[in-house]
Amino acid sequence: MTVDPTPTAPVLALDVRADPGLVADLAALGRALEAARLGGVVVSGDAERGELHPVLAAAALAPHTHAIALLARTDAVDVEPFHLATQLMSLDHVSLGRAGWLVEARSDEAAAAAVGREALSGADLEREVADVVRTARLVWDSWADDAVVRDVERGVYMDASRLQYVDASTATFSVRGPSITPRSPQGLVPVLVADEDAAAVGGTTVRDLADGRARDVEIDPTADASAIVAAVRAALEGARDDEPAPRLVRLLEAGFAADPEGRALELARAADELRDLGLVAPAPAPGTTLRSQLSLARPDVVIDPARRADRARTA
Amino acid sequence: MTSDPHPIHPSHTPTGVLRLGVFFQGVNSSTVWRLPESGDQVAWDSFSRIITTAQRGLFSAFFLGEGLRLREHRGVPLESDVAGRPDAQTLLAALAGITENIGLVATQNTTYNDPVDLARRLQSLDLISGGRAAWNVVTTDNAWTGENFRRGGYLDHADRYTHAEAAVEIARQVWRGEEIEHVGAHYTVRATGRLPRSPQGEPVVFQAGVSPEGRDFAARTADVVFSPFGDRERAIEFRRDLVERTLAAGRDAQAVQIMPGAELVLAETDAEAEEKVRWLRTQQIGPRQALDLLEQYWGRDLSAFDPDGPLPDVDPEVVVSGVTRGAGFQFEKAKELTDAWRAEAAAKGLSILEFARSRQGSRGGTHVGSYDTVADELAELVRLGAVDGLNITPWLVPGGIDDIVDHLVPRLQDRGVYPSAYAGPTLRENLGLPPLA
Repeated sequence: MTVDPTPTAPVLALDVRADPGLVADLAALGRALEAARLGGVVVSGDAERGELHPVLAAAALAPHTHAIALLARTDAVDVEPFHLATQLMSLDHVSLGRAGWLVEARSDEAAAAAVGREALSGADLEREVADVVRTARLVWDSWADDAVVRDVERGVYMDASRLQYVDASTATFSVRGPSITPRSPQGLVPVLVADEDAAAVGGTTVRDLADGRARDVEIDPTADASAIVAAVRAALEGARDDEPAPRLVRLLEAGFAADPEGRALELARAADELRDLGLVAPAPAPGTTLRSQLSLARPDVVIDPARRADRARTA
Repeated sequence: MTSDPHPIHPSHTPTGVLRLGVFFQGVNSSTVWRLPESGDQVAWDSFSRIITTAQRGLFSAFFLGEGLRLREHRGVPLESDVAGRPDAQTLLAALAGITENIGLVATQNTTYNDPVDLARRLQSLDLISGGRAAWNVVTTDNAWTGENFRRGGYLDHADRYTHAEAAVEIARQVWRGEEIEHVGAHYTVRATGRLPRSPQGEPVVFQAGVSPEGRDFAARTADVVFSPFGDRERAIEFRRDLVERTLAAGRDAQAVQIMPGAELVLAETDAEAEEKVRWLRTQQIGPRQALDLLEQYWGRDLSAFDPDGPLPDVDPEVVVSGVTRGAGFQFEKAKELTDAWRAEAAAKGLSILEFARSRQGSRGGTHVGSYDTVADELAELVRLGAVDGLNITPWLVPGGIDDIVDHLVPRLQDRGVYPSAYAGPTLRENLGLPPLA
């Protein structure tokens, strides 16, 4: 039975841990990820486990992939919000609009001590994550798409009236802006929260700020296509009625890196079947943005007069 | 070709090999944006085109600056120069995938990066690229830049190198898998390095400051100095000074290499190159940019002045707290500086526009001439031991190094001062640096 995918069918993604061994043949990994007919790959990387920085590992996959989204599962807490925002924009630039952010909220002793801060918990942690997500979006929206005018006649490269300050001031940080990086291909990088992180990230971000949730689906490293389909199906059907439908399915499968080509075959069969069943979004064509896979519009920048970057001149 | 028979310093032996790097600025007035062939300095295609060309020319390194705050001009983002760039390391991680040999150098500030996070990112880049990463260590202390970061303007000018040295030490501990327990004046950091070593061991360390503190810092910790001294006289003087400092720091005289920044304006003949540089200055600096340049030092609106007329006869407004362009602008010295400029322009009979153009590229790193003339000049610099390489800022993106790779590199090879192949897959090998213990 073939069912048309609903516009909200989730994007099928595979989680890959950024183990240092992974970089031995990134080209082969990229080919296998695309052969697996996925919608995206989530790159996770934990400093305490001796893994690579997830944003850099995701960027390293950009020239080796052409269609799949590259989502970095990266920390929103023990970071400089300005750097994090421009790093994610840059991932979007180098992937030509395929970047995504799966928000992680590391709040343990080790992560905090590495940056000389105290671990946060409860409402403090939740507030911090929400503040960082809001601030990142303000950084992403600090250049209008048409800010670069290259007006030779007037000698103007960039029109400051099409830029705005970030002017974020929160309990623990402030960011003045504007971004050092011009607006990225997707405008706003999609922000998602995985089941694994939902509790730590906090209700405000999950409910009100994120573009959607990712349903985590554990897959046995030896599972065949039908077992993968069954697991995804069970996970999607098991969703509670009172929560929004997931926008991403994150397959957690430890075996991929060890045998990318073999696993890609099985995953591709599973992906095709899930698409026939209308359970996941269509496979992306090369150059498809993550926003368009998620059926998210690409919003224009609205310049806030109070934050307009040329206000000093017009005041 | 003349050549000094005496070494610059008795302890220093010239390597006789010139290494080239490309410093992709893509921003500021050095980059011409008004030509039809001026590309987008943020687009992936521009980066991939220029780094591929550099690798074809056996360049040792591809070098990126760091932006921490958009340059401003009298409280408004500067409109007349190219602005905006991607995060250096994110971009370099992607460029690693389309290159095999060229080094990937990220300028990163020690003041506004958390050292453990920065070290992990650099080590990730080093592993992703198979041992081709380098860190160009820079410092700042200005509170204006700090407005984008958690700690704000926390660092005193006098402390910036003490702090930088601690940050490099922390990074090296991370890279060596050590346990870090750093208790400093500004923060306490505890962490353990957990990533493996890369094929080159750990990232190469570049350093770019030339104050006495910066030079001593380089002498103690750096592998390469990115200096502003590209002309013969100052390059020799800088080598002599740096060798002294390096020996005083207990390191070998050869331990620190020098790669000055450079701008190359080349043509078939010397006369054509002279004509080209005059044209280039008109493309880099238009009337609006000339007035913007002066306004940055005068600190006031100069739009009433004719760019084709003499320099403003009014004094600068001294705004000590109004640092709006990042490090390096000392408004307390504005009167002294603008007086000197007015005297110079009057003596030479230069208009505002002509004066601004004469300032462009005037810092000693510009080499103008035929391919053969410049090849001779550079061969002499490297045989003397004044430099180990050059870090070239192309004035056009992305085509700005095509003529260097196609016409200058073969002539340098003919003169026996340029590699004929990459020495190996790592940056350390391609810079001729000794392997790490």
